Amino acid sequence: MNILIKILFVIIIVPLAGGILAGLDRKVTARMQARKGPPLLQPFYDVFKLLQKENLVVRCSQNFYIYYFLFFVIFTVVLFFTGGDLLLVIFALALAGIFFVLAGFKASSPYSLIGAQRELLQIVSYEPAVILVAAGMYVVTKSFYVAQIIAFDQPLIKFLPGIFFAFLYILAMKLRKSPFDLSTSHHAHQELVKGITTEFSGRALAAIEIAHWYENILIMGLVYLFFASNIAFGIILTLAVYFLMMLVDNTFARFKWQHALGSSWLVALICGIGNIIILVALKR
Amino acid sequence: MPYFKKSPWIIHYDGSSCNGCDIEVLACLTPVYDVERLGIINTGNPKHADIFLVTGSINEQNREVVQNIYEQMPDPKVVVAIGICATSGGIFAECYNVMGGVNKVLPVDVYVPGCAARPEAIIDGISAAIKILDEKRKRTKEIQSGKVPLLIEPAVLSDAPQILDLQRLAYQSEAELYNDFTLSPLRQTLEELQKDFESNLFLKAIMDGKIIGAVRAYEAKGTCFIDRLVVHPQYQNFGVGSKLINEIELRFPVCRRFESFSGHKSKRNIDFYTRHGYKKFKSEKVSEKRDRIYLEKNKTEEKQ
Ligand code: SF4
Repeated sequence: MNILIKILFVIIIVPLAGGILAGLDRKVTARMQARKGPPLLQPFYDVFKLLQKENLVVRCSQNFYIYYFLFFVIFTVVLFFTGGDLLLVIFALALAGIFFVLAGFKASSPYSLIGAQRELLQIVSYEPAVILVAAGMYVVTKSFYVAQIIAFDQPLIKFLPGIFFAFLYILAMKLRKSPFDLSTSHHAHQELVKGITTEFSGRALAAIEIAHWYENILIMGLVYLFFASNIAFGIILTLAVYFLMMLVDNTFARFKWQHALGSSWLVALICGIGNIIILVALKR
Repeated sequence: MPYFKKSPWIIHYDGSSCNGCDIEVLACLTPVYDVERLGIINTGNPKHADIFLVTGSINEQNREVVQNIYEQMPDPKVVVAIGICATSGGIFAECYNVMGGVNKVLPVDVYVPGCAARPEAIIDGISAAIKILDEKRKRTKEIQSGKVPLLIEPAVLSDAPQILDLQRLAYQSEAELYNDFTLSPLRQTLEELQKDFESNLFLKAIMDGKIIGAVRAYEAKGTCFIDRLVVHPQYQNFGVGSKLINEIELRFPVCRRFESFSGHKSKRNIDFYTRHGYKKFKSEKVSEKRDRIYLEKNKTEEKQ
């Protein structure tokens, strides 16, 4: 019974936090551009509006994939926040991502096709660094379980600065921010129209939006793991990391996918693997 | 629920213009005016948009683009014509290729005056559009739930201009389908239509005091020939067409046989007639691009 309540709590609280984070993001971004910006709750208004719009589809099954995407993201988030297996979290999230890509392919307009292909390339780019996060945390804490990683008495960042940097590098991809907002972006007018989400409207688009809220919180949760030994400190640093991502978002133009792929692998290889090698060598 | 008021997403298209209004629209997005503070986002994608901003006039080349964008937008949606070019053609009105304002091809909800329209006026226009958006959502709900009374009655000569407008609007999609903009319903003049009143019985469908559908028919040798059943694009799928066809059949009680026709690619029309008991009995080539399918229904058959 206890676990059920906990799961319900996670399912309800996480998207609320995600929506507010998105609202904060838009507000701060606007301020960085010397604009006033929308109200904090704007993302919620958007989603509620989308729920009332007509649902246009190109192919009947395209929305089916979107709902699977949402389902697996929620599954992943629940797994993570109830202290489950980090490896499973990472692969379940990858599975969710694949459903999103399939939806993009299924809609089969040129824009969503290119968006979906780029999304695949993004998955290829960030996955090594994400797996290294799990591997690095295992090397330090001897466990893949989130609950035990959090319980570790020292901040993991102390042992894993290289991996943290590699993760930071691909964070923009996961949060769909510049310079890596290749497949779709929150900002208008680009060569891709809206990339992978081009063909989705109404309820399906709302589902994508909500899934992103879940995802963003999950990713910030992963960042938090690096500072988990001190709760207050950890939360502040996690928010600081998000702020940094906003700053990066507003500073950089977009990379080409070749650069995104090459550089993220390079960083993961040098900083991430290097970090693990040093760690293992020191432990001997 | 007032969410449409808080999150109107726009798509912007610039037609035949001097780009003055175009630039003013973009000025609305800059820090000085910052429409995002009202929740307005420039989406650049018709499938995500609620409000269609058009600047500049409509010409022979961009007509299809404008219609295409409009059709891709999910309901409810509104169209805002910005600047005098978009309203009436403006200084381009007399150009050989310019058709005129946006209302030549789309139902425009808000007109923003000015040459160029100032950003303040544009924002004002958008906020007027937002209100209409919310009303449209309520309307759609009411129409769907059958709360709005639909009146079907014979049309009179003075309805001719309205019916002609409706006919032009409703046959656009048909013209698009065959890529043939010379279809006779599109070319018909007011005088010709008024002349049709002598030989045909016209029925009109009225909702909110506006004609949203029409059909005509005449009798010859015991057969009732039904033609040009049109329904306003915004009111399609609410059963208006069915009511019209049932009514016109009742108006010809002596007829044993009813006949109508449709283009061969217009699957929707053919399906519609099939649903109402019509069967295909011959087809005929009318032009390079189009076959005409004739459909008939025998009353005696039905009664047995
Ligand atoms: S209304 Fe005036 S400013 Fe606007 S596009 Fe037309 S000519 Fe240019």
